[in-house]
Amino acid sequence: MDEANETAQDSVPRIDGYGFVRPAEFDYAFYEEFIARYHVVLTRRAIKWSKLLQQSAAVEKNMKVKRYIRKGIPNEHRSHVWMVVSGAQAQMDMNTGYFRRMFTEGEKNPKLLDLVITDLNRTFPDNVLFQKNANPSLQKDLYNVLVAYGQHNKTVGYCQGMNFIAGYLILVTKDEEKAFWLMDALIGQILPDYYSPAMTGLKTDQEVLGDLVKKKIPSVAQLIETHGVMWTLLVSRWFICLFIDILPVETVLRIWDCLFFEGSKVIFRVALTLIKQSQASIMEARNFPDICDKFKEITKGEFVTDCHYFMQKIFAEPGSLSKTTIDKLREKQRLKLISEEK
Amino acid sequence: MSRKKSQKSKGSNSPSSCGIPPAKENGKVGSEAHTNGMVLSGRPSLSNSGEFYDIAFKVMLVGDSGVGKTCLLVRFKDGAFLAGSFISTVGIDFRNKVLNVDGVKVKLQIWDTAGQERFRSVTHAYYRDAHALLLLYDVTNKSSFDNIQAWLTEIHEYAQKDVVIMLLGNKVDSTHERVVKIEDGERLAKEYGVPFMETSAKSGLNVDLAFIAIAKELKHRSMKLPNEPKFKLHDYVKKEVKGSGCCKS
Repeated sequence: MDEANETAQDSVPRIDGYGFVRPAEFDYAFYEEFIARYHVVLTRRAIKWSKLLQQSAAVEKNMKVKRYIRKGIPNEHRSHVWMVVSGAQAQMDMNTGYFRRMFTEGEKNPKLLDLVITDLNRTFPDNVLFQKNANPSLQKDLYNVLVAYGQHNKTVGYCQGMNFIAGYLILVTKDEEKAFWLMDALIGQILPDYYSPAMTGLKTDQEVLGDLVKKKIPSVAQLIETHGVMWTLLVSRWFICLFIDILPVETVLRIWDCLFFEGSKVIFRVALTLIKQSQASIMEARNFPDICDKFKEITKGEFVTDCHYFMQKIFAEPGSLSKTTIDKLREKQRLKLISEEK
Repeated sequence: MSRKKSQKSKGSNSPSSCGIPPAKENGKVGSEAHTNGMVLSGRPSLSNSGEFYDIAFKVMLVGDSGVGKTCLLVRFKDGAFLAGSFISTVGIDFRNKVLNVDGVKVKLQIWDTAGQERFRSVTHAYYRDAHALLLLYDVTNKSSFDNIQAWLTEIHEYAQKDVVIMLLGNKVDSTHERVVKIEDGERLAKEYGVPFMETSAKSGLNVDLAFIAIAKELKHRSMKLPNEPKFKLHDYVKKEVKGSGCCKS
């Protein structure tokens, strides 16, 4: 470790604000430099948001709010704003007691319980709040949310990946019930069917990304086709985990700000930006394993750590990405998938 | 990308019938590169991680959720096992390790897959790219053993005909919780004609051996010296495998 990193390590806490222990290879020096800059942004945003929410806590869907959200929701307002803009709050208000009933009442599907329990210890072992013997341990909240959701949405039940999503929602909301309703907004409305047993939405979106890369970054698409690499090998985790464990926590939360407000299109923006930004490096790949290595590398480093700059990039770098285009491509790929599976 | 396209490009990439990639894809070694049946001399190529290698293979880990696929991989890759430090694998992920096999640097790109049933519709698409498959069950979990037949059926349906398969009974360190006897594993392996061993990602028992045996088999298949004796995977495994040190029949 170099000297700058050692000095920075003294001032940057080993455990981040969400309870995650920073990995051994963490770039303390860059982080310290970035966070100093970012604090200025956060302070400015906090003042703006306080004013906005003083006028109305309802958070209307307008251009100003969209702009505000793209610049980041301050931590103290994040839970509230997600709840309101996603419609989760309205659902929760209309269904008082529903969440509690879902995990307390009725016969539980034993297979569901089995799957959830298998993953409890395997969800954020690097987070002190999720340790089994933490007091209180968020594993209990995680269990409740996942079991309730599986009982509520029987088609989806439990799919690996949902544990990480529920975990983030619990960390942000600090409230099981809110986490449950946000989960329902995400899986039930915002995302196509990524988590249902057939995973059609996931398979579709991976191919849609392929189409978009072909259109916007053709050399990379060509490279991937030449070496016969399937998109699903490279990006399945990006979609299923919504960038958890792929990108830094703060960056993921900034992406989710937009996801809750603008919908699933933002996932393509992030993916395209990651690929385009590292286009030159990806093009150095000479074979199948190289390409896979590259797609892991491009989600690391300073570019993704500086979440504020990264978020500006995702709305500029990939160029226009209309809902009509996405809808058309999704329909095309979905039909193709169905005909191939027959 | 459609399955058809990939298969086509795969065929055109691989001169060898078994689907093993040409040894020197990046051409850095120029005239020293032979793509088929020749030992490679001279300087190896440099992978992205900065490690030199002569030849690369894709290995996949499959088996039910929670049998210890990731733990096994981490034990092999880093020689470490930290209880409670593993996350459930979502979709598919990989780690690389370069091994020295009889003087040849073999890069194994090891794909770790999600065990949950619904991911199989996604992961079976990867099977055809794999040169070897390590199929795991957990000796403390009967249903993970009972599902092995279903896994083998799927493997035979989707993988390359000559894919190298090895059956591993993991977690043998948990002697008190064991419910699947070593004989059960041996019998099943014999029935399907695949090599078998019991492993422990926790203690490290037979972990390196499993990967080294695979690497040796793949290396011998792809670049065989004219007067080199044929490598026999089954015999090698039988000779090298270690017992778990208790519960012997």
